[in-house]
Order: sequence, then C-alpha cells, then structure tokens
Amino acid sequence: MNCQRFQENLTNYMDRSLPTQEMSQIAEHLYQCSNCSSLLDDVRSMLVTCKTLPPVELDLGLLERILLRTSGRPRTRTLRELLTLYVFRPMFTPRFAVGAALASLTLVFTVNWMLPHASSVSSALSPKEIFRQMDRGVQRIYSEGLKAYDKKNELQEQFTFFKNNVFNKLGFIIEQLDVPVEGKQDSGEPRQQQEKAPSDKSSMLLLPA
Amino acid sequence: MLSGDGKLVERCLQGDDAAWEAIVTSYGRRIYNLSYRYTGRRDESEDLTQEIFIRIYQNLKNFRMDAGSFQNWILKIARNLIIDHYRQTRRYQHAAGSEEMETMNLMDDRVPSPQRAAEQAEASRFLRDGLQALSPELKEAIILRDLEGMPYQEIAGLLNIPEGTVKSRINRGRIELAKLLVKRRAQAGIQV
Repeated sequence: MNCQRFQENLTNYMDRSLPTQEMSQIAEHLYQCSNCSSLLDDVRSMLVTCKTLPPVELDLGLLERILLRTSGRPRTRTLRELLTLYVFRPMFTPRFAVGAALASLTLVFTVNWMLPHASSVSSALSPKEIFRQMDRGVQRIYSEGLKAYDKKNELQEQFTFFKNNVFNKLGFIIEQLDVPVEGKQDSGEPRQQQEKAPSDKSSMLLLPA
Repeated sequence: MLSGDGKLVERCLQGDDAAWEAIVTSYGRRIYNLSYRYTGRRDESEDLTQEIFIRIYQNLKNFRMDAGSFQNWILKIARNLIIDHYRQTRRYQHAAGSEEMETMNLMDDRVPSPQRAAEQAEASRFLRDGLQALSPELKEAIILRDLEGMPYQEIAGLLNIPEGTVKSRINRGRIELAKLLVKRRAQAGIQV
C-alpha cells in the first residue's frame, strides 16, 4: 500500500466497500503516513461541510413565474399563505399600527361621550357596592316584614273588638225587644224603665278602646 | 399501474393545471438548488430553473415511464441545460460584492448565534469557491453525490456513464476539493 493507491481507494475506504485485507492495509498505511492521514481528515471535514450546507431557500415568486410562463395559471395559495398575505403581514406594518391606535382612541372617546356616568356605573358594579346593596335590600325586607306583622296584630285586635261589640249589641237589642221566651212570664212593666237602666257592661263595650 | 409521478404526468397531458403545479412544487426546490450549486449565483439559478421547467413542460409528451423514473428524466433535462448554460457563459465566478449577499441568502433561520452563522457562511463560501475551481466533470460528481445525496447508480444513470466512472470522479473530486479548501483556509489565515 502506498499513497497513490490509498488516494485511489479513499472513497471506497470511507464507504467501507473494500475487502477486509485491503481495509487493514490502508489502516496501517494511515497509521504510518501523516500526509494521507491528514488528507483523509480533510476529506471528512469537507464532507461534513457539504452535509451542513443549508439548502438555498426557494422564492415562491419563482414558482409563480414558472407556472405563469408554462401553464399560464398562477400558483394556488394555501390558507396559511392567504392569511399571512392578507392578515398577518399587514398587521406588522406602521400603517396598521397607526390605524389601530386611532381606532382605539376613537372608541374610547365615543364610549366616554355616550356613557358619561361610566365611572359611576363601573363603581356600582364593584363587589363592595354590590354587597352593600344586597345588605340594604335585606334590611328593607325585614323592616317591611315587621310592619306587616304589626299591622296584622292591629287588625286582629280591631276585628276582635268589633266582633265582641256586634254580638253584645245584638244581645242587648234582643233583650230590649222582650221577646217572650218559652217558660218565662211577661213582667208587664213599660219598656222605657227597662231602657233607662242599660247594663254597664254593654256601654263600656260600645266605647272605643 | 402508474406511479405517483406517472399519474401526474398523465393528468398534465390531459390539461390538468393542478397536476403541473404539483410537479413544479415537488421538484422546484431541488432543481433550483442544483442550479445554484452549479452556477453559484441566485439570479442565474432562477433563470436557469425557469428554463428547465419550461423545457420540461414542452417535452412532457415525450416522457415514457418504461425509459426510467420521472425524477431521472427531469434531472437529465436540468443537467443538460445547466451544462449548455455553462458552455455559453463560461463563467461561474462570483462578483466580489455579491458573495456576501449570496452568503446571507444561504443563512438558515435556525442558526443559533451570529458567530455560528458567520462560521457557516465562511465555510459555505470556501466550499462554493472550491467547487467552482474544479473541472465540470468532477464538480458535477461532487454536487450530485455529496450535495444532492444521490446514490451512485442514479448518478450513473443520469450522466449515462458507468458506476465505476462515477466513483472515480467522486474520489478525485473529493481529494481535489479537500486540498483546495485547506489551501484557501490557509490563505485566509485560518488554522486547520
């Protein structure tokens, strides 16, 4: 094995496509020959560079031109390309930024103009205020309930008084009429004498409470 | 039963523009990369790519599935046009100012740091310069094997030469290119 023979078989040696004996001879030669050893390293380094060489990016405009010159039809754009072209790309332009800022300012001023009490509304919607309103509502309901209860008691008393008065009055009137009752004799006394002495109880009951 | 490419060609010949667009989209990047590896210039690569696809479009009716794969057929057309272009122009030289622009265009967005990007760009430039200095046959073999990753058999079919010749050209090309790179790095003051 000499340097010339090694160089002729360098690619086969790297591909490991040589017979075992020849591979051993080359390995031995490389161990002894620094020039061939360096050459092998340089070739390997070159191949690594080739492998790490990035592919050249293809401009999609070139595909577009090719299609127009051949079939005459433009390239079909994917949804992603359409979104990038008409939505995302325009968003990252100064023109869009200025427009968005102006639109935001306009919206803020419009809202402020149409809702002058926006700040009071916003404060009314705070949790603290909501709790306060709820508490006030509960208290109002409770006081209304108490009033209703008192009213009910008052009405009940009045009804009781009225009931007792009506019945007593009726009883008194019945007594005044001197309706003969079975088993009882007529006293013959004039009615006026009987009317002159009304019972104390009935007069007391006629008086309002 | 036709393969995927065969069906696309059939549909193209029947007037289906969507099928032609699928072919252009599938092979466009590869043809463009191939052109760029040969020419080293973006503008020339774009023109060359357009010419290649126009030629393919005009000759679609001549494609025969039994003669080989569609990919091979496209690459043959591409190669022939590239060689013709080279013979006509005889110049695959970079202008001094355009080198940096070409290098910047090659930068991958995934490069983590500026330093790494600069190292990669410099290595790419050295590699491209070295390739331009090779003879057309050796350069072609290196591009197809080490840059495009084509197997020996496919390269042999594309170039219409024996597989042994392909290996021989690749071997010589690698050795020459490696020596050139070492020399250029030494000239640039970079220690190997």
